[in-house]
Amino acid sequence: MDITALKIRDMRTMLDKKEVSAAELADAYLERINNVDGKLESYITVTADEAKSAAAKAQEIIDKGEAAPLTGIPMAIKDNICTDGVKTTCASKMLEDFVPPYNATVMEKLNAGGIVMLGKTSMDEFAMGGSTQTSAFKKTKNPYDLGRVPGGSSGGSAAAVGASLCAAALGSDTGGSIRQPASFCGVTGMKPTYGRVSRYGLVAFASSLDQIGPIAKDAHDCALILNQISGYDYHDGTSAKLDVPDFTAKIGKDIKGMKIAMPKEFYAKGIDEDVKNAVTEAAKQYEKMGAVIVDCSMPSLKYAVAAYYLIASAEASSNLSRYDGIKYGHRAEEGESYNDLICNSRSEGFGDEVKRRILLGNYALSSGYYDAYYGKAMALKQKIREEYGEIFENCDVILTPTAPTVAYGINENISDPAKMYQADICTVTVNIASLPAISTTCGYDKNGMPIGMSIVGRRWDEATVIQAADAYEKQFTPVPAKL
Amino acid sequence: MDIEMVRYLSKLGKLNFTDEELEKVAGEMTGIIEIMDAVKEIDITYEPLKDNHNVYLNGLREDRAMESFPTEKILKNAVSSENCFVVPKVVE
Repeated sequence: MDITALKIRDMRTMLDKKEVSAAELADAYLERINNVDGKLESYITVTADEAKSAAAKAQEIIDKGEAAPLTGIPMAIKDNICTDGVKTTCASKMLEDFVPPYNATVMEKLNAGGIVMLGKTSMDEFAMGGSTQTSAFKKTKNPYDLGRVPGGSSGGSAAAVGASLCAAALGSDTGGSIRQPASFCGVTGMKPTYGRVSRYGLVAFASSLDQIGPIAKDAHDCALILNQISGYDYHDGTSAKLDVPDFTAKIGKDIKGMKIAMPKEFYAKGIDEDVKNAVTEAAKQYEKMGAVIVDCSMPSLKYAVAAYYLIASAEASSNLSRYDGIKYGHRAEEGESYNDLICNSRSEGFGDEVKRRILLGNYALSSGYYDAYYGKAMALKQKIREEYGEIFENCDVILTPTAPTVAYGINENISDPAKMYQADICTVTVNIASLPAISTTCGYDKNGMPIGMSIVGRRWDEATVIQAADAYEKQFTPVPAKL
Repeated sequence: MDIEMVRYLSKLGKLNFTDEELEKVAGEMTGIIEIMDAVKEIDITYEPLKDNHNVYLNGLREDRAMESFPTEKILKNAVSSENCFVVPKVVE
């Protein structure tokens, strides 16, 4: 049996029954990373020594009979989440040598839960992109086809889970960056409600949209990780002062009578036939399980990509102004003046896509354009939220494709940034409306590439989203990547 | 988007581009702005007073003194430091 292919719950049972030790489990993954990641390029940094000592610590806890659900479970962490003493690069030359002096709150929580961190995964530079091909270090491949992209921006995390190079991973999602790569790599990824998980220590991209979440083999495993990382944090004023429910509580409960809405705009022109058919088939399967499919509409979807990119880039241009090459990050050879030094450092440190987003953000915010672009985008944000509100008056969850296509060929879209942006149509409204959503595999196209569907829930109702995804997964037989 | 606009925006963003790069970026930005222009089609106005979606998140934190990070640890990430961050001379 290949233990690296197991789900977290099965590993838990084996660890607790002493059928495998935490060290053996960590070693199995490290060996697999050693053998496979040269081709896949999912990790920027592998922390083998730290993993071995974390495994030893986890084993002591297991031996005492005090294991928590994640004790001894090997996980990978997206490289924009700060890890004390371990390089956190954001896949950017700007942060190539940056070693955070502190842990992100999610890392404190995972460490307290006894996880074994295997390393830091690649991503699009500063989480800006949907292919992981803007990474300055590792341009990750898709575990189902090394000639295709893994999606992004959390492409390293999704590919590592898909190729069993970790039991599960953390990603971050600003406009689909957990769900879309999960869809492309045939795994399950969840973006929690905005405010559910602390962003302290997550390198900021667009602060009103960013959210950390799990990528795992299935929805149940995602729920176990979400249980561990959620909750109010003094260090993040936008984390919610709400009790954290048990996200596994509704797993296995009958979905009979659950109302599932399918907004027609998500199934219109621009969505591949294979994708449309697979998600529609999944809806039929839900009906067989007793759910009720509800037709509905989201008229503002056609404006969503523009609204999203204007808001996200405006926030990014402000957030990224902190990189001056002085306190941390890449520093150019001395310029003639203080201002030269900053301009040179930023121009050398940032990649092309990051620069485009900074320019776009400055454009949207600059005088003469502010009302026409940023103001309009903010108005659309309100409208999209209202439309979600109306849909949720008549349903429990919403079902959409996660992406318009399956994973595409490496370099296929990268020369056309505008085309890349359009591909985010299915995911961005969820971030704009602060909602929770999960992507899980619902089929494969004729080439065997995974197709993902998204289940979107009401704010704070992650439990129902997980329940719905789990119900589907229980009757679906996934085809693992052969790598 | 014309080259002068890209030059202006890059100045705001503290980014340098060569003339050749400016031309390429102007072309890319034109394609991107065409997508963004979609928002101009719809006649709606942002109502800040109604934007209370995340208002519950705005609870002010208790103002309490906490331990800071050790200076040496923070300075470790600076390329140039002498018990403080070193910058080029800013006064004549």
